[in-house]
Amino acid sequence: MRIPRNLEVWRLGTVNYLKALKLQEKLASDRKINKIPDTLLSLQHPPTYTLGKRRTDYNLLVPESELKNMGAELHYTQRGGDITFHGPHQAILYPIISLRDIGLGARKYVENLESTMTELSSLYGVKAHGQRKCETGVWVGDRKIGAIGVRISAGITSHGLAFNIDPDLTFFKHIVPCGIADKDVTSLRTETDLVLPDDEVIQEQLVSCFARLFGYNDIIWKDKNVIEIDG
Amino acid sequence: MALRIWASSTANALRLSSATRPHFSPLSRCFSSVLDGLKYAHSHEWVKHEGHVATIGITDHAQDHLGEVVFVELPDIGGSVTKGTGFGAVESVKATSDVNSPICGEIVEVNTNLKETPGLINSSPYEKGWMIKVKPSNPSELEALMGPKEYTKFCEEEDGGH
Repeated sequence: MRIPRNLEVWRLGTVNYLKALKLQEKLASDRKINKIPDTLLSLQHPPTYTLGKRRTDYNLLVPESELKNMGAELHYTQRGGDITFHGPHQAILYPIISLRDIGLGARKYVENLESTMTELSSLYGVKAHGQRKCETGVWVGDRKIGAIGVRISAGITSHGLAFNIDPDLTFFKHIVPCGIADKDVTSLRTETDLVLPDDEVIQEQLVSCFARLFGYNDIIWKDKNVIEIDG
Repeated sequence: MALRIWASSTANALRLSSATRPHFSPLSRCFSSVLDGLKYAHSHEWVKHEGHVATIGITDHAQDHLGEVVFVELPDIGGSVTKGTGFGAVESVKATSDVNSPICGEIVEVNTNLKETPGLINSSPYEKGWMIKVKPSNPSELEALMGPKEYTKFCEEEDGGH
């Protein structure tokens, strides 16, 4: 008999990148020793550029000092993937889950993250697709609407996905996003004809798509203020 | 697929038994090869112990579940590895995955070819895609690892049970 699986979802609002990273590290450590169940962080970031483990900073097209003038931060991380931008009106999901418990490898996990975003897009009549060979992420035609960058350590995931609801796309002009030079970045706002609800609604829908694709039976929603969380 | 044909002909040439399932079986989930003479960890690394040196890499099952490897991070020679702890990482499909050492020991060699050709881990996980060579500090740790039959069963259960 299959044991019912619950997903605990923390709605965090807008969180500074480093604070979110520190929180993920703590939760991943707790998840590894089964102190917490599979947990999903749902949040947004203030304007932030991030690099992955390969440190591909040649894809940053402006000096770091200029980023500060724009009001953006830059962070180097241990996740996979290239350079990207996070900012307001971009939905971020950071799943802290045990892949070993559900028998998924990196490839299948990432495919499911792509499907989470393609399913959400289809709710708004947008035909998006993932599983492009050598170009992980979610695309509408040749325009990228969702990005993925993941870390798997001791079978526990951290980092995750970023889905463009309606971010300021000009921020992407200062990088070669994801290291892909000849493709554009897009958003749900740009691609759909429908009127969009508030971000919170879309983020909840994204979480529901995730939970369904990963076979969770129940979602336990928690609203958290990250400043109050003991780091 | 070419990889399976290559793997089984290589296995035949080396007179190694392979637990590869027939690839025409639609119900089979385990298409990965498992080699005799190696020991295996639950986190899908293999160890080959020859004399005073143990070679470590990741299994065919692991590389298949990772996807195409585009980047490999390896430790420095002279460092040490601890059983069950990460010594490096691989990147595939925008995911970095830690690679763990099945045993404790001192690193005596690392596979620098993986810097230029990380895909060797996919194309040759048990030979050209080896990652590090270690002088085991406690050879009895190898006894605690899985043998090929046990590892094959472990993979089947992990893939099939969800």
